[in-house]
This record gives sequence, C-alpha cells and structure tokens, in this order.
Amino acid sequence: MNASAWHMLLEGAWTTVWISGISIAIGVTAGLILALIRIARIPVVDQVLVLYISLARATPLVTLALFIFLSAPTFGINLDRNVAGILALTLNTTAFNAEIWRSAFRNFSREQREAAMANGMTPWVTFRRIMLPQMMITSLPGLINEMSFLIKGSPAIAVIGIVDLTRVTNRISAVTYEPLPPILVACVLYMAAIGCLVWLQRIAERRANRLAV
Amino acid sequence: MFEKNTSEQTAVSIRHLSKSFDGVEVLRDVDLEVREGDVVTILGSSGSGKSTLLRCINWLEQPDRGSIHIGGQRIGVNDAGRPMPVRELAKVRARTGMVFQSFNLWPHLNVLHNITEAPIHVLGKSKAEAEAHARELLEKVGMSPKADAYPNTLSGGQKQRVAIARALAMQPEVMLFDEPTSALDPELVGEVLAVIKDLSAEGYTMIVVTHEMAFSRAVSDKVVFLDKGLIIEQADPETFFTNPSTERVRKFLEREES
Ligand SMILES: Nc1ncnc2c1ncn2[C@@H]1O[C@H](COP(=O)(O)OP(=O)(O)OP(=O)(O)O)[C@@H](O)[C@H]1O
Ligand SMILES: [Mg+2]
Repeated sequence: MNASAWHMLLEGAWTTVWISGISIAIGVTAGLILALIRIARIPVVDQVLVLYISLARATPLVTLALFIFLSAPTFGINLDRNVAGILALTLNTTAFNAEIWRSAFRNFSREQREAAMANGMTPWVTFRRIMLPQMMITSLPGLINEMSFLIKGSPAIAVIGIVDLTRVTNRISAVTYEPLPPILVACVLYMAAIGCLVWLQRIAERRANRLAV
Repeated sequence: MFEKNTSEQTAVSIRHLSKSFDGVEVLRDVDLEVREGDVVTILGSSGSGKSTLLRCINWLEQPDRGSIHIGGQRIGVNDAGRPMPVRELAKVRARTGMVFQSFNLWPHLNVLHNITEAPIHVLGKSKAEAEAHARELLEKVGMSPKADAYPNTLSGGQKQRVAIARALAMQPEVMLFDEPTSALDPELVGEVLAVIKDLSAEGYTMIVVTHEMAFSRAVSDKVVFLDKGLIIEQADPETFFTNPSTERVRKFLEREES
C-alpha cells in the first residue's frame, strides 16, 4: 500500500470512529431517558415506546439506514448522509440500551432505596446519588457489549454512501488490485477499537466487585 | 434512670393505626406515645407486626387508617387531608433516623461518604461541615479508623455501627431500630448494643424492635408487646419482665429465657 492508500484508510477509520462515537454517546443517554419514561408507566407513551423498541430491535441496520435516508425527502427533509447514518445507528442502539438500563433500575436493591428514603432523600436525589452511580457500574458490561455490536454493525451505513473503514478498503483495492492488505489493516483497527472497550469493561468489573456486599 | 432529663414533650404520637397486607390485618388500632428522651423497646414474636409498625412511623409503609405525628408534625398526610407531596414527605422523614436489620449501607460510597451523603444532599450542609460532623460520629461509634473503608470490607457489627452514625448524621428527633443485631454473629452483638446504650444515656429518643431481652430490660423506659398486630401490654421494664399482666407475655418470656 502506498501513502495515499494509507491516508484513505485512516480517513475511513476516522469516519467509523466519529459516527459510532456520536451514536454511542446519544444512544446511551437516550436509552437511559427512555428507560426512565418506561418505568414511569405513562399510558400511551409507554405503548409507543414498546412498539419503537421492538421495531428497532427487529429491523436490520442496513434496512433502517436505507429507510431513513430514502424516506426523509418524502417528508420534505433534506438529510445529510452522515446524519442519516448516525440516526440509524442511534435508533438501533438506543432500543437495546433502554432495556439494559431498565433492567438495572428494576433490579436495584429495595433495601438501599429504603435507606435513602429513610435519610430524607427525595426520589430524584435517591436516583441521582444512590442508584445511578451503581446502575452505571452494573450496566456497563451490557452497554459495552452493545457498543461493540454497534461498531461491528457500523459498515451497514455504507449502503447510503458513507465511506467508512470497511467501504474504504474496497475503494483502495479497486485502485491497487490488492484487496488483502487494506482489509487486514481494517481488521486490526476494528480489533483495536473493540479491545479498548474490553479493557474498559475490565476496569468496570473491578469496581463492580465493591458493590457485592 | 431517674436522673435522666425526660421532659414531657411528645416525640412520637401514634393513634388508631391499622394496616393490612392482602386483606390480613397486620396492625390493629395501635396507640403509642413516645416522650422526648424515652427509649421504647418493642417485643413480640415473629410476624406480630413489629417491623410494620416501625416502618409506618417513617412512612416506608403507608397505614390504612390512623395518624402518626413526629414532633407534632403529621407524616404522610398534609393539612388538607391529602397524601403528602414527595418533597414534603421527605422533609418529615428526615426528622426520623432508621437503622435496619440488614444495615443497608450504600456500597459505592466509603464509610465517610455514606454518612455525609444525606447531610450534604438533603440538608444542604457544606462538605467540610458534614465531614467534620461525620468524623465526630465515627468517633462516637468507634469506627474512626475505618473512615475510608468501603462497606464490603467491614464486619456486620462494623457495618451496623456505621449505619447508626449515618442515621445520627441527620440529627433526627427520634431513632428507629429494627432488630439491629439480628443479622449479626453472636460475638458481634455486644458492640452494637453498647453503642445503642450510649445513645440512650445521652438522652436520644429511640424506638427499638429487638429480641434481646436483657438489653430491653436494661435500656427501656417503656416496653411494648405486640401480638398479632395488637399492643397487648405496655409497661415499664421492671413490671413487664417481673410481673406481666397477660398470660401471653408470661409465656413469651418463659420461652425467651430457655
Ligand atoms: N410488604 C408486605 N407484603 C405482604 N405481607 C407483608 C409485607 N410485610 C409484612 N407482611 C406480613 O405482615 C406480617 C407482619 O410482618 P412484620 O414484618 O411486621 O412482622 P415482625 O413482627 O417484624 O416479624 P419478625 O420478628 O419476623 O421481623 C407478617 O405476616 C408478614 O408476612
Ligand atoms: Mg421484623
């Protein structure tokens, strides 16, 4: 591979990283908010969320990305392809994250909540100071698992013309007629990204031990 | 006991309290007065409603009927007779402190921060002020060396002493203890009872559910006996333990002695 091939590859890698990164950040936060809304059990809103979650979990990413990108103009919206890609990844990952957060909330120790209430904490203070810090630790393995699914599923956004780390290998080999080297480098880069996540998970697990009273 | 400063102010007043779970009456028309500075112990066999009574006092359980006043302030129901909004309820709850059988410390916080958490985030104390007070309380319960330890590294007796300090940090008007030594290994019971005895000597108002008869006799101003949700006997410890007026209590005490 020559310098320009390397350059293209790194650009593709960067595209994957920033699009996935933004989707993960929004997806983790939005998942938490949806989980809290579902826990509040607001009629109608709850049914709508259940519908969204099951649809988003059942739809393949490629299909979702295509649908968003192609249907936007019919609603009079001119969607940038990167925005459409982020939207697809986010809609998908949020649905999974919402379920992870919700189960962490439901499984939270009743005794600890009672201790918080007995100490005069309102439900909001209890959530913010007692539950959320522990839910972050207990949910992290699930959330990180979901993050690596997202990264591994991210080549789906190539279908709407985004040149990500996988797509770019195709372009390079179209010029160099050597498909193997760029693909190999791409594999290594994906593994590095997933490796970072696994390393984060280890740290989380060490902190989680403390929670086992 | 006579030199103790017992004023005539009422700390907790419970009137006509009733509570059912799934159609079964667990508390039946309970009346109880606790004066400031008094130690009241609640005895009774398993399932008689002791925990439920204690948990109604700080509204962890909502009674079906009756009223509870803490320092003259009604808990759970506002002046208009409506359920209290959560913020208001939290304020009244903060006037009580509770110690649970299973400690219920927060495992993500170290000992010091378990104690400062509510004073900072409920009472709005500064970090420095809350920590200084927490260190005094740790000294009182003999846990100063463990200020930086996390709960999972402590013994049961140590956890319970931290839990007591945590409740005291809110400067409650009344302390509620639900079988504070029942989850402890026998050799650790003494250290926790010693702390509670110290508190009684300092004049704290306390309601203690316990199975420790000798402790109840030594520390109480009043002993209350619950049987199937009814208070069937209320007396000073001398009378209660030597000359109970009901057959039920006499049998209970015989069984506890053996
Ligand atoms: N949340 C609940 N739902 C249903 N039933 C309950 C609940 N809490 C308590 N009970 C029932 O109410 C009765 C009284 O319970 P409570 O815990 O007050 O008894 P106790 O005197 O504290 O007993 P112990 O000495 O075993 O702690 C028991 O029969 C119990 O099964
Ligand atoms: Mg009980």
